[in-house]
Amino acid sequence: MRLMPSCHDVQMELTEYLEGTLPLRRRLGIWLHLRLCRVCAGVLRGLRALPLLARQLLGPAEPVPDAALRALARMQQKQSD
Amino acid sequence: MTAASPSEQDLIQRSTTGDSDAFGALVQPHLGLFYNGVLRILGNEADAEDALQDALISIHRDLPRFEGRSRFSSWGYRICLNAALMVRRSRVRIRDMERPDPLPLGPFDDRGHHQESEHGTEWQVEAQAHLLVEQQEMRAVLLRALDELPDSHRIVFVLKDMEDWETEEIAEHLLVPAGTVRQRLHRARVQLQARLRTYILGGRP
Ligand SMILES: [Zn+2]
Repeated sequence: MRLMPSCHDVQMELTEYLEGTLPLRRRLGIWLHLRLCRVCAGVLRGLRALPLLARQLLGPAEPVPDAALRALARMQQKQSD
Repeated sequence: MTAASPSEQDLIQRSTTGDSDAFGALVQPHLGLFYNGVLRILGNEADAEDALQDALISIHRDLPRFEGRSRFSSWGYRICLNAALMVRRSRVRIRDMERPDPLPLGPFDDRGHHQESEHGTEWQVEAQAHLLVEQQEMRAVLLRALDELPDSHRIVFVLKDMEDWETEEIAEHLLVPAGTVRQRLHRARVQLQARLRTYILGGRP
């Protein structure tokens, strides 16, 4: 087996790569590929940035959404029944 | 904090004796956080409202057992996530049973390498780089993309990448092997990234 995996294989295994669960030889091959391939390196950057981006975009809304206030009102109504 | 404002402990005490206004005052400051947590897991506002209502009932019921070892907001938030997971289980989604779509990667050539046209395409994923109005649009795109993921995939992404749960913890909670969690996580990440990428690069979302 060649050391350098293809772009397809690299991109299919990036999460396993980030989690450190791949065998050493595979990890090395991907590491090498990422240093030589801008596209796959870009995909990795995107994967790494995604959690922060998602947290920023989906942070708590101000003011408190109506749906949340409705849930509280309905709950309090239920409790007093 | 002024002496006039009742302390959280005080509100908890009054809530356990049936003071509904005290309970409202207790949870009100955290309502945005709580709602946001369940919305992320469930992906749509109707289910999120139901789950939050369930969670508030659980919080109220379990309040006598809240011992103050953690902050009330953290304790309540955890209850909210569990309520969202319960609501999720009660919603059977057909598309979870379907064979998963191929991942939006590539195009690759016969040897699995990127075709030339793809070279030079840079992934730019930074919220700060975008105007507020663009961020609001991206938020809508992301919410829609999350809702379109199979539930089993979205839940893994939310718990791992947004709530910082450990892979093993998620695996235990969902009763699947850790490898399955990682597979689902990867599929979710790639799908979400592709949706935002299309948007960021100026194509139709
Ligand atoms: Zn590559």
